[in-house]
Amino acid sequence: MRKRIVITGMGAITPLGHNVREMFDNLIAGKSGIGPITRFNARKFPTTFAAEVKGFELANFVKDASRWKNCGVNSRFAAAAAQQALTDAGLMPENSNVDRTRFGVYLGSGEGIQDFNNMISLIARAYNKETRTLDNPTFEKDGLKYFHAGHESEQELHTTPAHLADYFCLEGPNYNCLTACAASSQAIGEALEMIRHGDADMMLTGGSHSMIHPFGVTGFNLLTALSTFKGDPTKASRPFDLHRDGFVLGEGSGMLVIEELEHARKRGAKIYAELTGYCSTADAFRVTDSHPEGRGAIACIAGAIQDSGVPVEKIGYVNAHGTSTQVNDRVETIGIKSVFGPHAYKTPVSSIKSMMGHLIAAAGAVELITCVESMRTGWLPPTMNYETPDPECDLDYIPNKARQVKAEHCLSNSFGFGGQNTSLVVSAFHN
Amino acid sequence: MVASSRRAVITGTGALSPLGNDAATLHASLLQGQSGVKKITNFDISALPIQIAGEIPGFDAKNYVDKKDRKALRVMARTIQLAVSGAQCVLNDTKVDKAKLDKTRFGVVYGAGLIATELPEMADAAVLCTDGTPGNVDLDVWGEKGLGVIQPLWMLKYLPNMLACQVSILHDAQGPNNSITQSDVASLLALGETFRLLGRDKGDFFLTGGAESKINLLSMTRHCLFEELAHDPGHPEKACRPFDKNRNGMVIGEGTGVIALEELTHARSRGAKILGEVLGFGAAFDQKKDGGGVSRAIEAAMKEAGISNADVDHVNAHGVATKINDRVEAQGIHKVFGDKVDVVAFKSYMGNLGAAGGLVELIVSLEAMRTGQLPGTLNYETPDTDCPVKVLNKPRAMSKPCVVKVGMDQTGQCSAVVVRAWKE
Repeated sequence: MRKRIVITGMGAITPLGHNVREMFDNLIAGKSGIGPITRFNARKFPTTFAAEVKGFELANFVKDASRWKNCGVNSRFAAAAAQQALTDAGLMPENSNVDRTRFGVYLGSGEGIQDFNNMISLIARAYNKETRTLDNPTFEKDGLKYFHAGHESEQELHTTPAHLADYFCLEGPNYNCLTACAASSQAIGEALEMIRHGDADMMLTGGSHSMIHPFGVTGFNLLTALSTFKGDPTKASRPFDLHRDGFVLGEGSGMLVIEELEHARKRGAKIYAELTGYCSTADAFRVTDSHPEGRGAIACIAGAIQDSGVPVEKIGYVNAHGTSTQVNDRVETIGIKSVFGPHAYKTPVSSIKSMMGHLIAAAGAVELITCVESMRTGWLPPTMNYETPDPECDLDYIPNKARQVKAEHCLSNSFGFGGQNTSLVVSAFHN
Repeated sequence: MVASSRRAVITGTGALSPLGNDAATLHASLLQGQSGVKKITNFDISALPIQIAGEIPGFDAKNYVDKKDRKALRVMARTIQLAVSGAQCVLNDTKVDKAKLDKTRFGVVYGAGLIATELPEMADAAVLCTDGTPGNVDLDVWGEKGLGVIQPLWMLKYLPNMLACQVSILHDAQGPNNSITQSDVASLLALGETFRLLGRDKGDFFLTGGAESKINLLSMTRHCLFEELAHDPGHPEKACRPFDKNRNGMVIGEGTGVIALEELTHARSRGAKILGEVLGFGAAFDQKKDGGGVSRAIEAAMKEAGISNADVDHVNAHGVATKINDRVEAQGIHKVFGDKVDVVAFKSYMGNLGAAGGLVELIVSLEAMRTGQLPGTLNYETPDTDCPVKVLNKPRAMSKPCVVKVGMDQTGQCSAVVVRAWKE
């Protein structure tokens, strides 16, 4: 028989709170974490708002905050969320007695933040406008002088899971995947598979990311993927609403400890939920758009539900990718309808991105945690700012007000830019 | 471990490297003791302390990609162009009829790293908003005018998931798709994950491997700041010296290494040539930097493979040639094999190909299996007591069926794969 994998610890650093409880309470209250960008001067950018993590001090979470001083916020958020998840699971190195070589890490974590100011000014210093060429030696000399070695090294994409493994003594398999907006969901899914296969007994998994920096906003603005809503920024993220005009950038980290059931039982761990289904597919269509008929999304949702063994009509809640872009929300709706059939109209669907924006690589992990909390408390978070129905998006999106429903099984979707799709199914735990 | 009844065989290779653009050429270059490490010629690097690398001479993706798809190359950084070129090489090599593949069972898992922006693309915007004082940028001007002079698809050209995405798009691969961003161990981890995907019946035909080029102005400048790079002794071919007592750092290289990993009955039914079988995989983190993670990864892979030390022809090491990493790795290999099994380190010939390295190096071993001739390690002259392994430094005939490929990175992330030469 296949091994059963359960969630035994959770942690979150988000625009709506610095722990899981606070975040979830704010989501149920329909609060927004979106406001003007304060990290840098964005007032002349097409998009001037984002969902920032506010008042974050790593020293409030980990003993040795100075160890993380060169790290980008990606690793700092991750450290705090991991500390919470491991403490929650009773698996901190100093107060647990598990075989740490059987404890791995699989993250979908983003890059450290580039040194925008130095990079841009140094490019300008080396650039000859007349010949339209860059003088390499000028840039090289400047770069060696002005870039900070530690910060540069921390931009590399493998650093976050390595830091966590080193700091929390996690000696099992160590992975990072960066499949854009699907990254942390995919990480959780593959971590699940590693335990099922026997590569590890416990995995710390989730994601961490911030693209709220000049390059990030520049890149997404150029792709016209971000909302440029004029007016109250808390109204900008409008998943499934007819007048949606793009996503809002968020940032943060979500971390989970997942564990083989017998292993969790033996050590008397508290069990939040069971992770039952996972699938990953590719649209194989375009780098800029999802497949218009939802080819990859359909296969992905269907695959995850099939993997879980849960009949589709028993899925009590869908936590949508719901980015608030025209294409995603339409295609995701098609995908849900295609797989759920008539039951789609009876299944509540919502997007918490309406409140805390899009955490990019970290989004899926935070959204899965939201599903777990929904099942635990019996409350489903709303889709805020849902005002004008879109004829092409005609499901029950839990508009504007949380709903008291006890779901037994939840589906969480994450669809990445470039066509990498991931779906997860999480179920209430029963012996 | 749950052994899978589905067997994973390697049915094709693609390798673009400093020493050849197919497995046979690469392998022959190594046998002849050629080095791909040279003075960088692609661009002016005269103000950096390190001026050598393993470049691919004359790489042009247009030579690999279908004419109808060439337009897409414009939104691909060199790393991504390498990835799609490598994929095309594998598909040619394995002679698969794409029309007959079930596209939903065709997966792509790639290792990737941070991709550096080509700086001139930012230059027109940059000059608008700074007075030339380092660190001083007027973000008002950037937001108002700078964005208007940058290519709209700029970011897509540099996203690390685009290696696997672009390959899936060019070949309509709709199965599982992932981008493992784990530095120098990325492509080996990608192979391991593909092995698992295939074992649990998520696909029948996969392209897996990695691609990376750091040989550009920004990456070279950045890496000179934080990486232990080999000093140029005036003889670039001598610079990379894995496990040698006088090693003094890594050499940066570029390349792509990709294989077709296919379920055995699928491969047989289309009459594919089979190069080898992946038997086992393991991964671990070497937290204590004592080789414990390396040895656990090797032991896990060998246990799953069901082989013993006596079955192993050679260990194909990571051998990055930094002081500490080689010591850690050698200690890990020693824990399993003592000094009884030959160790080869192919970075000595071409440098560290980053996210591509593991697979390019594995492809050399596959070619060694096919031809019976195993290249040795270049520049291994003075043994180091810190590295208690038996480093092979000249070619010899293959004598045993299995190879253990080890990959790791500076932080301690490590993995191992066992491949057995194919015999009907």
